[in-house]
Amino acid sequence: MLSITKPRRRSLSERGLGFLLLTPAALLLLLIVVYPIGQLVWNSFFDIHLAEPWKGEPFTGLENYRRAFDDDRFWSSVLHTAIYTIVTVPGALLVGLGLALLANMPFRRKWPVRLGLLLPWALPLVFSGLIFRWFFEYKQGIVNDVLARLGIEPLAWLTDPTLAIAAICIAIIWKASSFMALMLLAGLQTIPRELYEAAEVDGATPWQKFISITLPMLRPAIMVALIFRTITAIQTFDIPYAMTGGGPGDSTETLAMYIQKTTLDFLDFGYGSALATLMFVISMIVTSGYLRYTRRSAGRREH
Amino acid sequence: MLPKRRTVVWLAGIIVAVNGFFPALWILFTSLKTETELMGYPITYLPQTPTLANYVQAFTEQPLLRFLWNSFVVASLSTLLCVLVSALAAYALTRLRVPKSNLIMAALMAVAMFPLISLMVPLFKMMRELGLLNTYLALILPYAVLSMPVCTLVLASFFQDIEPDLEAAAMIDGCSRLGALFRVVVPLSAPGVFTAAILAFVNAWDEFLLALTMMNRLNMRTLPVGITLYQGEFAFPWPLISAALIVAIVPISILIAVFQERVVGGLTAGGVKG
Repeated sequence: MLSITKPRRRSLSERGLGFLLLTPAALLLLLIVVYPIGQLVWNSFFDIHLAEPWKGEPFTGLENYRRAFDDDRFWSSVLHTAIYTIVTVPGALLVGLGLALLANMPFRRKWPVRLGLLLPWALPLVFSGLIFRWFFEYKQGIVNDVLARLGIEPLAWLTDPTLAIAAICIAIIWKASSFMALMLLAGLQTIPRELYEAAEVDGATPWQKFISITLPMLRPAIMVALIFRTITAIQTFDIPYAMTGGGPGDSTETLAMYIQKTTLDFLDFGYGSALATLMFVISMIVTSGYLRYTRRSAGRREH
Repeated sequence: MLPKRRTVVWLAGIIVAVNGFFPALWILFTSLKTETELMGYPITYLPQTPTLANYVQAFTEQPLLRFLWNSFVVASLSTLLCVLVSALAAYALTRLRVPKSNLIMAALMAVAMFPLISLMVPLFKMMRELGLLNTYLALILPYAVLSMPVCTLVLASFFQDIEPDLEAAAMIDGCSRLGALFRVVVPLSAPGVFTAAILAFVNAWDEFLLALTMMNRLNMRTLPVGITLYQGEFAFPWPLISAALIVAIVPISILIAVFQERVVGGLTAGGVKG
């Protein structure tokens, strides 16, 4: 009530109410994020087998981490995750940028294009994985059918390790590029039209306009989109799970898939916790880069 | 020169639309084909003898209606919880001059970047020990938290645009601060609340990893996990899976088709401003 008479003053009760309103969010975060992450790191120092509770949970120090270091399957899952990240981050950016430029044209009706970008975003990742698995099917898949029409021999997309990785990358790029395009499109629409008009007066070609106006103006949006994509790529799970289940063998398995298998199929909880802790650390390194970038650009905007 | 320009625009639109719609369309065609047509070679594009038999079988082979219901319950309740909690937090951060509100917001955004798999491992043990596996709560709580950062961000940007005078007027008329929040600020930012709700709903509807982990009883599975259960040990019954996929895609497609402008606004507010 104090704030009615002195609305500009920061009264104590207002601040108190502020903290009160933040409490539910804080409690939920504590319960679902902070406490579990603490538990995760703690558990990673123990040998825990959920299927054999009678064995107890002996403290083993860094043993789980040492084991990861010698674990070939861990390293190969890291390698696959790195491949997906290195291929799909620029891939989705290029396709997304192309889609955004196309979608930025002066359409009379905007909804088909907008929905065309939204649908892949709204589709669950597993569904996209299943659909692309169907596309890449050896005999009945449309990809090999199109190849046959072009006179190319059918390819064993999902059973050849290298091709399976390629197929998964294509599916991820399709799924991720739409969201990328939506963000870049929002960026494109903030570029003042006068810049292009001025360039046209000076006789600039479309390519020159793209290089010297569009790209620099789009830089912040591109950076945010890239970092978002990188963080999601590190966690890749659903699409390879649906397309190959990690196979053939474990030649397409990602780190997230290996962690899931270790904890839920092998019930090797301590080791799974160590791997998940490593994943957490990797993600946080990327995220801190992201936060540093946004804070820097926010500072720039204020000046 | 002008007609040529119109052609380019048309072509651009067709490329974007085909890229977005083709996979779903192809699944729709597949779902209408008979098993024999599908096994034939070379493959057909349009269904030769369209049939709805796959849809009937999709509902009888697995409890598809039950999957739909589970997804619906989990997505709506987690959305409700998420929007409520986020609205309170966003209000505190934008209008109540909480100290260090920028830092709190940044911390919240960092949480949004946490890898889900790292949360899944300890959450699984926690829910197991609490006896919450195979209950809706095991998904509702995490889903509400996962969408909280983006919902808080979207709501905060809407709250910021409301005139402080309106609130002051309501309080002079005898409203409390909280009363002003729910009677003035929330109705005025209804579009924002709505946008946040749709984002939270779609996130919950689409989530797979936690749903796979927390629910292992068949009648508690959500749609994304349920769909993967149609595959046999050796066979992959594509017409059946396609039909189930179409049933699963339709509700969410209608939702985003109706509210597309709002969804785009919310997504880009979360991304570009964040």
